[in-house]
Amino acid sequence: MRQRSANSAGNRLLMILTGLFLYAPIIILIVFSFNAGTSSSVWKGFSLHWYAQLFQNRLIMHSVYITLLVSLLATVIATIAGTFAAIGFYGMRRKARNGLLAVNNIPMMNADIVTGVSLCLLFVVFFNGWGAFAGWVNSWQSVIVLPERLTLGFGTLLIAHICFNIPYVILSVGPKLRQMDRNLVDAAQDLGCTWMQAFWKVIIPEIKPGIISGALTAFTMSIDDFIISYFTAGTSASTLAMTIYGMTKKRVSPEINAISTLLFVTVILLLALINIRENHIQSHSHHHHREAAVHTPAPRKKGGGMWKKVAAGGLACVLLAVLIFTGSAARSDRVVNVCSWGEYIDEDLITQFEEETGIRVNYQTAESNEALYSLIKMGGADFDVIVPSDYMIGRLIEEGMLAELDYSAIPNYDLIDDQYKGLSYDPENKYTVPYTWGTVGIIYNTTMVSEPITSWSAMFDEQYAGQVLMINNSRDALMAALCCLGYDINTTDEGQLEEAFQLICDAKEKGVYQAFVMDEIFGKMEGGNAAIAMYYAGDYLTMLDNNEDLAYVVPEEGSNWFVDAMCVLKSSQHQDEAAEWINFIAGTDANLANMDYIWYASPNAEALAEYPAYYEEEYGEPLDEEIYNIMAAPPEVLARCELYINLPQETLKFYNDLWTRLGI
Amino acid sequence: MKNKLSRFAVPYVVWMAIFVVAPILIMVLYAFSNGEGGATLSNFVQMGDYAAVFGRSFKLALIATAICLLIGYPVSYYLSREGASFQRTAMVLIMLPMWMNFLLRTYSWMTILENNGLLNQLFQKIGLIALYNQLTGSNLEYFSMINTQGAVVLGMVYNYLPFMILPIYSVIVKLDYSLLEAARDLGANNVTVFRKVILPLSLPGVLSGITMVFVPSVSTFAISRMLGGGTELLLGDLIERQFLGGAYNPQLGAAISLVMMIIVVICMLVMNRFGEGEEQAVML
Repeated sequence: MRQRSANSAGNRLLMILTGLFLYAPIIILIVFSFNAGTSSSVWKGFSLHWYAQLFQNRLIMHSVYITLLVSLLATVIATIAGTFAAIGFYGMRRKARNGLLAVNNIPMMNADIVTGVSLCLLFVVFFNGWGAFAGWVNSWQSVIVLPERLTLGFGTLLIAHICFNIPYVILSVGPKLRQMDRNLVDAAQDLGCTWMQAFWKVIIPEIKPGIISGALTAFTMSIDDFIISYFTAGTSASTLAMTIYGMTKKRVSPEINAISTLLFVTVILLLALINIRENHIQSHSHHHHREAAVHTPAPRKKGGGMWKKVAAGGLACVLLAVLIFTGSAARSDRVVNVCSWGEYIDEDLITQFEEETGIRVNYQTAESNEALYSLIKMGGADFDVIVPSDYMIGRLIEEGMLAELDYSAIPNYDLIDDQYKGLSYDPENKYTVPYTWGTVGIIYNTTMVSEPITSWSAMFDEQYAGQVLMINNSRDALMAALCCLGYDINTTDEGQLEEAFQLICDAKEKGVYQAFVMDEIFGKMEGGNAAIAMYYAGDYLTMLDNNEDLAYVVPEEGSNWFVDAMCVLKSSQHQDEAAEWINFIAGTDANLANMDYIWYASPNAEALAEYPAYYEEEYGEPLDEEIYNIMAAPPEVLARCELYINLPQETLKFYNDLWTRLGI
Repeated sequence: MKNKLSRFAVPYVVWMAIFVVAPILIMVLYAFSNGEGGATLSNFVQMGDYAAVFGRSFKLALIATAICLLIGYPVSYYLSREGASFQRTAMVLIMLPMWMNFLLRTYSWMTILENNGLLNQLFQKIGLIALYNQLTGSNLEYFSMINTQGAVVLGMVYNYLPFMILPIYSVIVKLDYSLLEAARDLGANNVTVFRKVILPLSLPGVLSGITMVFVPSVSTFAISRMLGGGTELLLGDLIERQFLGGAYNPQLGAAISLVMMIIVVICMLVMNRFGEGEEQAVML
């Protein structure tokens, strides 16, 4: 027998510290799920608010549902397929078996990102092939119309999960098969069993522990996976992990803490049940297992009751999934898939639109214009309406990716101020309906700088080393540098761009930048973690709500003013619904609600003019004129700002190269 | 009987051909093609620019793996000497964090490590920062911990430590104790027993632990982005950027993935030579 408690206090301490290390962040997460405030580092009092909110949040509930569904389906399929495969491998000659096992190990040994990327490429290639095939089939007959455009979605996500789950099942079933007495099957057959009976009554019971532990490992892997899902799910089937990733870029809503706490507690309860039961069995059978299998004690004797518990737990999960399914299953045939930026709409508008029209809105977000472009190009998304910025619209039009709009279906287009029509990216007004406009400027914390900031040079100033957040987007970052140097922000002169790039590079070398961020800016500026950042006017006003020390300036050298506009992709299958959505959003009421929520100026002339009155009515106090002027920059500020225009292909490539060089 | 059984594997063999082998072949094709469908080596040539990223990724992943080993081995070893029910509970506790999404746990580290984060608030309260300022004559308001390479390594260690502990533990716990007793009877002291018996016998677990920590560390992109502040590009970020991020270039992305895969495979082959003759790597 092994020595018990041979450990000294020091050894114990190491274990305790390791435990603490593993659990500290989790405890913090759980604690802050009960926080009354939104912050994840400032305690504002105990509240169950987020647990109540959670069930209202469609995005989170849907992703939980997708996660559970894909994990359960993938586990069931992978367990069955893996078990048969393992039995098949067992029946092979050693050489063949080893070769196949090596291939089987590939997904496990490969980095997740390689598996994800390679599967993504496979799907893309298949979709392209399918598109050609479907087009050909549709062209010579009209009985069956095949969809020509497939995108990543739940199906591809499921395939990917099955793919990386099967190896774990094989790996835990294989050893059990090898431990099995080879004569058992023969004996059973000698005793009159048919081969099938022998299979079900002898082989399966013998390897059952392996099957169960394989299934549990597979399920854990599925639930925990992020990277492979990220590359194979597109945006329509977001798992919880993907939703969280989207949020970590801005602010993780405490609702996420709440749902994670719930899932975590459920797992603890399940495991506790299993463990209590197992201890019970052990103390009765005096049989000490030394299995390393963590979840699954080997149930040699009297294990039946425990499996009932496991089954009950599994059933509970299924029920939960079904519940969520029915909860969110107010489905209708009319759908519109919208992709926009994070926190860029008053979400009540979505519900309102759904109630009015009966069209279901799939609202998704992308990180930046460039990321949106990649997503569409990779076939990662089946968006109908997108809301890119001016220069990206120009590029999409140039590459023939946008559909011409039928403005007769969008009467509210007339409400848009002429100032925002016929701009350089869409001179003939064929493709776009403006959504918002605004300026780019510097946001700074007045308590952390010595004097008010007026110039872009602050973004490159050594004085603020470690205090500056640079925007993680080549176009805007180089714009700041170009302005600072006095060049045109739409320049194609590589010398000027190179010079601007050097400015950023030098600043980076000198340690001016704390980080390169996009929406992470919110949390960092609100929390006083950085002094200076460049970002968008509307977002500044959102931050101001949470930190009064922040100030905003459109630097004296000039800046960019932008228009984000709604457009419809050529590949869209829901053109009519898309037009209805655009019309709804372009309306005055929607614009007012949106402006109030996201603080970006509306291109709807009526709404923009009415906003101060709307604000006063809503909050009982007049709107600060300064705030209004930051949101809707007055003409004298706009006079020094310029729109981005779409750059030629070579310049875009040059931007790209510069930006990647910076990261090295 | 044997032949009958092997038929069960046929569907899976087909599946593997489509979803395991074909994707890798397609990746290879992509890596050797340009955007217009022609064959080219330019993706690999271009990769030379990113040598620094390769270097940084491998460096950070190696450091993280080493730290995991330094913590994980003693923990597994001491753990195996505890009582059976303690061991079982401890194993569950080590696996349990995996049920809380790793992005969320990493995000939690962000709130801990921020300049105004929980740790700095704590240091402020207990006067550690003031003390440090007095000792060194500096004028710090906080310790900058986030957005550094150290924070990225911490994130890797935190997320992948269980993958080091589990395989090592599962090997050590199966050690035949009579071997240790025999060694002692033959006059070996504790250090010798450890060096000559326990360590060699636990090597398969160590090797598989190293692989299971190193591979995800070298290819991570979420951790570096969240804790590294995007200033220190890692391989995973580079690849992600070519596919779904700001720089659309799947050909280059495929080439980088391919090279990374090859380097990792070579590393693992070399490592498995160390463990030659030992049992096949132990997973989970």
